[in-house]
Amino acid sequence: MDGLTQIQSIITFAWWMVFSLSVVLYVVLDGADLGAGVFSLFVRNADERGAIMSAMAGTWDANETWLIVAGGVLFAIFPFVYGSAFSYLMVPMAFALWGMITRAVALEFRHLAEPRWQRFSDLAFGFSSLAVAFFGGMALGAVMQGFPLTHEPSTVPTYVGGALRFISPFSIWTGIASVVTVTLGGVLFVRARFQQREPIRWQAVKWCNVVFYLALAVAIITIVFSATIFPWAAHKWLGPNFWIWAIVLLAMIVAALKMRIAANRDRDLEALIWFTVALAIMSISFMATIYPWMVPGTWTIYSGASPPVTLFEFTFSMGAFFPVMIIYNAYQIWVFRERISAMGVHH
Amino acid sequence: MQNSALSLLLSRLDFAWITSMHIIYPPLTAGLSILLFIAEWRWVRTDDEQWYRLTRFFEKLFIINFGAGVATGITMEMAFGILYGPFSQAAGPFFGQVLAYETISAFMYEAGFIGLMVFGWGKLGKKMHLFATANVAVASTLSVWWILVANSWMQTPRGVVFKNGFFHVVNWGAALINPDVTFAVPHMEVAAIELSLCFVTAVSAWQLLKKRHVPMFQRALKWSVLTLVVIAPLQVYLGDGLGGTVAHDQASALAALEGHYHTYNPNGSVDTSWEVVGWPNAKGDDMALAIAIPHVLSLLETHTWNGKVTGLDDIPPQDRPPVLIPFYAFRIMAGIGTVFMLLAFWGLFLAVRGKMAVQNIIDNKWFLRAAVVCGVLPYIAVWTGWWTREISRQPWVVYGMMTTAQGTSRMSVAQEIFWLVGYIGFEILVWGGTWYFFAKVVRHGPDMESPTVDGPMPALDPPEPHAVLAFVKRTKT
Ligand code: HDD
Ligand code: HEM
Ligand code: HEM
Repeated sequence: MDGLTQIQSIITFAWWMVFSLSVVLYVVLDGADLGAGVFSLFVRNADERGAIMSAMAGTWDANETWLIVAGGVLFAIFPFVYGSAFSYLMVPMAFALWGMITRAVALEFRHLAEPRWQRFSDLAFGFSSLAVAFFGGMALGAVMQGFPLTHEPSTVPTYVGGALRFISPFSIWTGIASVVTVTLGGVLFVRARFQQREPIRWQAVKWCNVVFYLALAVAIITIVFSATIFPWAAHKWLGPNFWIWAIVLLAMIVAALKMRIAANRDRDLEALIWFTVALAIMSISFMATIYPWMVPGTWTIYSGASPPVTLFEFTFSMGAFFPVMIIYNAYQIWVFRERISAMGVHH
Repeated sequence: MQNSALSLLLSRLDFAWITSMHIIYPPLTAGLSILLFIAEWRWVRTDDEQWYRLTRFFEKLFIINFGAGVATGITMEMAFGILYGPFSQAAGPFFGQVLAYETISAFMYEAGFIGLMVFGWGKLGKKMHLFATANVAVASTLSVWWILVANSWMQTPRGVVFKNGFFHVVNWGAALINPDVTFAVPHMEVAAIELSLCFVTAVSAWQLLKKRHVPMFQRALKWSVLTLVVIAPLQVYLGDGLGGTVAHDQASALAALEGHYHTYNPNGSVDTSWEVVGWPNAKGDDMALAIAIPHVLSLLETHTWNGKVTGLDDIPPQDRPPVLIPFYAFRIMAGIGTVFMLLAFWGLFLAVRGKMAVQNIIDNKWFLRAAVVCGVLPYIAVWTGWWTREISRQPWVVYGMMTTAQGTSRMSVAQEIFWLVGYIGFEILVWGGTWYFFAKVVRHGPDMESPTVDGPMPALDPPEPHAVLAFVKRTKT
């Protein structure tokens, strides 16, 4: 609800940044894992599919923790948004959550399963990754469109509008866009994680060339699509501050080019990092475009916030736990940085 | 807000199913991490290899369980908003914050140390590894405490006012330390420990029945059964205390779980009798077939001979909870609590008679068989305990302040069935997977060959030949 004091508004804003950071970290870190899963659907050799799974074995779980953090912050600080947006998104979220459950089980089943079941669990792994990426993207697109709320005296406005309202041409498009984007991340991840001579890495290299242009096209279409149907986006992008957005766009293009060049020179890790940079710039400018809305036309970050936000808990969590978590996550990725080979990991 | 009775029932079932399928993992995580810490500590102290082998063996089971807890837990965190949107919005300022404290102070904390615990063997020094295990135990215990504080507040809400459709916290202290916390939190914590002790007991008893690694599992069995001698009565004591809280602060819930329909007998005297078993009659205003013992109810709840206990007929009809499930679920839980006490005393008796030694423990066939069965019972007790608690709180979601009907998202019946059917499939997948892996690891038994690790070793992890170990590495960070 509105009516926050000045200091509360500042803390709310800071929490919103933390929330956004958690979402971006989730997208960037788990996105590549999901993409590798999608890619695995097209890998013929069973050992190679197993190797892809092993390649993310040590890290995928920690990457997913960022999603839990984002959910926790949303519930605590923006409960009005949490309670209405999630019931609006029930169906896509159910599919995405089932995808996550399946992915976890498939990863864990594989090595114990007999070959006949392995084929099945590999398919489950691939399709569940695809489902998480698609429905996750679709949910984001649906949020951008806003949703109707109740207007009843002395109750908090909540979602009304049925189970299927989230479906629209735009949200279907963002679902597809998300699959393409994570697939690019996935193939870059596979390139970076496997030894240079591995056949699977060559397959990823070939894919990378195609998916790169696909992703480029997807990005352009998404921007034009949004500018056309969302007045708030067009106003910001083409308004008096257009030059800022032009610079952001330029930065994105530079990051994409750098990625391409690094990939062409077989500097795989560098390519993955540039991809991450491009994705992060894109996500952050997306948040900035929506600001001050959290759900355009429905909730601003201030109207969706819980009134009793306090400085104490912000300092407590940010000062103590977030840094530890980030350091730990980074340490883990560092531990698992070595390139592997399909045969080496599979015993 | 749900208008039809069917859709309200379905939205409750939707939530009940996913929580019931989540709550079977966390207690083992929380309890077993403490036991792992103790075993590892004994190893560090005494350098006795058996403690090391036991730690490594039960740690494998621990990690499988942990993975399942995460897989089902992610849904839980999102489900409040999805299924109980208006409740989440209204209670968010308190409830959401408490859950976020859990996320931050327990999950994130745990995520950090569990990686060290799983991957740290051979890379960390002995003491450092023990420190990691200790932190995992502390973090998962914190998690139990936070979530129970949140749930206790739903049972006995304090420190808030309900205004403009949501709860404003006016007194954080009163809200956090609400009356139900005193017994519900320790009752759950001790349930977690008791469940884990029974788990270790059952696994060890099974190995002993197969005559495998007798000296090692004799040690595990003896220690866990002897600990149960203290823990099992403690749990009964805490349960009795919790019943007292319920009697004092949630009259309608107590009446439901005791099947207590009338405050007074027809002749005007206080109805003091305790129904052992019974079945509600067709009109639902009394027990049709019942075996009742006079004075026991008053003794149990008020600790006096003729104390008055509010019956359902003193509760307005629209505020009366269902009776059948709370009534029987409560009896099953309490019965299981008693069975554990008997098992523990049986074990104590055998130990005192010198029959629990390495050379003769496997002769106690019946005791060992009973111990195996006791591995399943705590799961049933945890389920029935929660069902008692949650169903006897109905029709309230926040007792006395917000009804469940006000708290649910506006979903159609089709949507609710979609969720339920989907989750029945996926949660059973997780459940099946977990038990399949448990069985595999237990059957395979402990690894007695690999050398023990004595602090940092030069090489990285050697390649793991056994699939379960590979799984273990993958399961959490
Ligand atoms: C922190 C809160 C919380 C926690 C820890 C739990 N629940 Fe709960 N439970 C709720 C919060 C809640 C709820 C959201 O508030 C529900 C939905 C409807 C209601 O009245 O309470 C509920 C309903 C609910 C119902 C349906 C009640 C009915 O139909 O009358 C069952 C059977 C359970 N839960 C079972 C459990 C189990 C097995 C839990 C163990 C994890 C559990 N609950 C933990
Ligand atoms: C009904 C509300 C609940 C919610 C929303 C919830 C949420 C979660 C989530 C999201 C996780 C995974 C966290 C991770 O990735 O580490 C989890 C695990 C855990 N939960 Fe729950 N949970 C609930 C009920 C409970 C209850 C009643 C208990 C205690 C008895 C409990 C104790 C734990 C513990 C100890 C863990 C950590 C172990 C693990 O991750 O498997 N939870 N929970
Ligand atoms: C004679 C023994 C026991 C008694 C008298 C007892 C009593 C109770 C009571 C009164 C409640 C609260 C119900 C409500 O709030 O409406 C409860 C809840 C519960 N019980 Fe028990 N109990 C006993 C044994 C056990 C055992 C052995 C376990 C599991 C190992 C267990 C697990 C639980 C759980 C998980 C809950 C719900 C969470 C909580 O309230 O802490 N109980 N019990």
